[in-house]
Amino acid sequence: MKARSAASRRQDWSAYLYIGPAFGLALLFSFFSMGVSFWTSLHDWDPFAGGGRFVGLDNYRRVLFGTDSVFWIALRNTTLYVGMSLVGMLVTALPLALLCRKARYLQGVFRTLYFLPSITPGVVVALIFYQLYGIWGQLLDNSATALGAIALMGVWSGAGYNMLLFLAGLNEIPNDFYEAARIDGARPMDEFRHITIPMLRNTLVFVMVMTIIGAYQVFASVYVMTQGGPEQSTQVLAFDIFMNAFSMAGQMGYASAAAWLLFLVISVFVVIQMRLLRSRRIYDE
Amino acid sequence: MRSETKNGRRGVRAGTLLALVVMCLGAWIMVYPYLYAIGGSLKTRAEFSADKESLVPARLRPQRLFAHFTGQEDAEFQRQYKEWPLQRNYVDAIVYGGIGQFLCNSFLYALIITGAGLFFNVLAAYAFARMTFPGRDLLFGMLLSTMMIPSVVTLIPQFLVIQHLGLVDHPLGVMLPGFASAFGIFLLRQFFLNIPGDLESAALLDGCSKWGILWRIVVPLSKPAIITLGLFTFMGAWNAFEWPLVVLSNEDLYPLTVGLALFRDQNGQDWPRVLAASVMGSVPLIALFYAAQRFLIGGISLSGMKAQ
Repeated sequence: MKARSAASRRQDWSAYLYIGPAFGLALLFSFFSMGVSFWTSLHDWDPFAGGGRFVGLDNYRRVLFGTDSVFWIALRNTTLYVGMSLVGMLVTALPLALLCRKARYLQGVFRTLYFLPSITPGVVVALIFYQLYGIWGQLLDNSATALGAIALMGVWSGAGYNMLLFLAGLNEIPNDFYEAARIDGARPMDEFRHITIPMLRNTLVFVMVMTIIGAYQVFASVYVMTQGGPEQSTQVLAFDIFMNAFSMAGQMGYASAAAWLLFLVISVFVVIQMRLLRSRRIYDE
Repeated sequence: MRSETKNGRRGVRAGTLLALVVMCLGAWIMVYPYLYAIGGSLKTRAEFSADKESLVPARLRPQRLFAHFTGQEDAEFQRQYKEWPLQRNYVDAIVYGGIGQFLCNSFLYALIITGAGLFFNVLAAYAFARMTFPGRDLLFGMLLSTMMIPSVVTLIPQFLVIQHLGLVDHPLGVMLPGFASAFGIFLLRQFFLNIPGDLESAALLDGCSKWGILWRIVVPLSKPAIITLGLFTFMGAWNAFEWPLVVLSNEDLYPLTVGLALFRDQNGQDWPRVLAASVMGSVPLIALFYAAQRFLIGGISLSGMKAQ
């Protein structure tokens, strides 16, 4: 940093040509798109008929208080799904990582096999589980079990990937800590509570936040397996937004408003994620 | 004292054994759906509708195989073999289900997104890492913050933008949003920053242009990062579902993921064929991943190190 040559300190105007394409596209499909989305949410918008009438916050009113709105049902289902995914992830990924280290042998094989779902298209996973759930007692046809079954599939898909993240975190805890604790007569439970968990805090929060943000946007599995049924028990927000925007005429403004409301919910966790990334000094080199 | 350590060791061994058993059980749970799909895809249609549960199709069970190879099997079974050879569901999925077309589309989309994405991201990352220009840090900060926007908010306006550009139902419409990745630029920039500047200064003195330095020095030195990013981009493009579903309505342009969902709707009574298509849809990525595993592990440790 300090020893910069004079050549590199000069302003380099050609840099804009280098960043131009990627930066332009990234901005077009993020901030600019968000602007378009907000604008759409204030209009009675039909992309196929073209044009739109300004309706102010009416779309938001319809989403929140309209008699035909499924927003609250979808929000409840999505939050339930997020909760189940989070609990499912915590009781699988971290214990699996601890067990994988403890097992000593076959670790490479375990990593490989547990990682398989992460490199399988979600649609394929959903199709296979659709059959399996049919065999195991029509889990998807019952409004009491359908959402849980989809969440279970999500946990199955993500467990291996999160296990790898936890393994990476565990490997960074210096062994000295455990040795010192053992000399002091700590039991395994004490080691876990007073060394592993505090030292794993960053990984833990990261995995939890990523799970929450991902689960709030669950779409493909619902689309392939249940289409929101039975009796709206798997009606989730991303699916409701998709259906309103792309399967019904003239509902794009309504769907955009619903998307913004979902964004508000998620943004709480996005802020946590941002803080975490900042604290990991991702912004500087 | 001695007996205590002995006990301790025995305890450790028992723990290891228990962990191994639990991990093996877990591995079985991870692999079971794949085995089920492969087994199902090798059954005849009649067999599958009578027996959905079993993993191994009847003709691959040991006693049947033995009978088959010693020529002792009954005529009914021989007829089944003739009419429904093992590969039939796969062939049918390709010939009648259009799975071959979907696979080709997925390959093309993923390859082009990976190629173009790498090109644009390398350019941007290089400028952010090695050039000085007004607003650099501000622009980089903006770029990073785009990573925080959840895709559910951008899905609808992304469609409107693509529609405005006249690219709905066009291959370019599927691919264009994938050509730039804030995460990719971030990853490459981190890697470029760690390359010692001496080589570049020397090249600069020798009259090499910045463009030449990028492609002749920086890119060859960054192979691990570029391959890692390329693999991740390829995987993401191959697995993408919601976006192509939104943009495309012409079935001839469907990638595999969207094609599979459609294929299921059209072949709802023919699950062995659907399972065969599913197997074909997951094999390319799994093969690619294990072929490139050593790069990926290097890449993960490299990016993981920086993230801490």
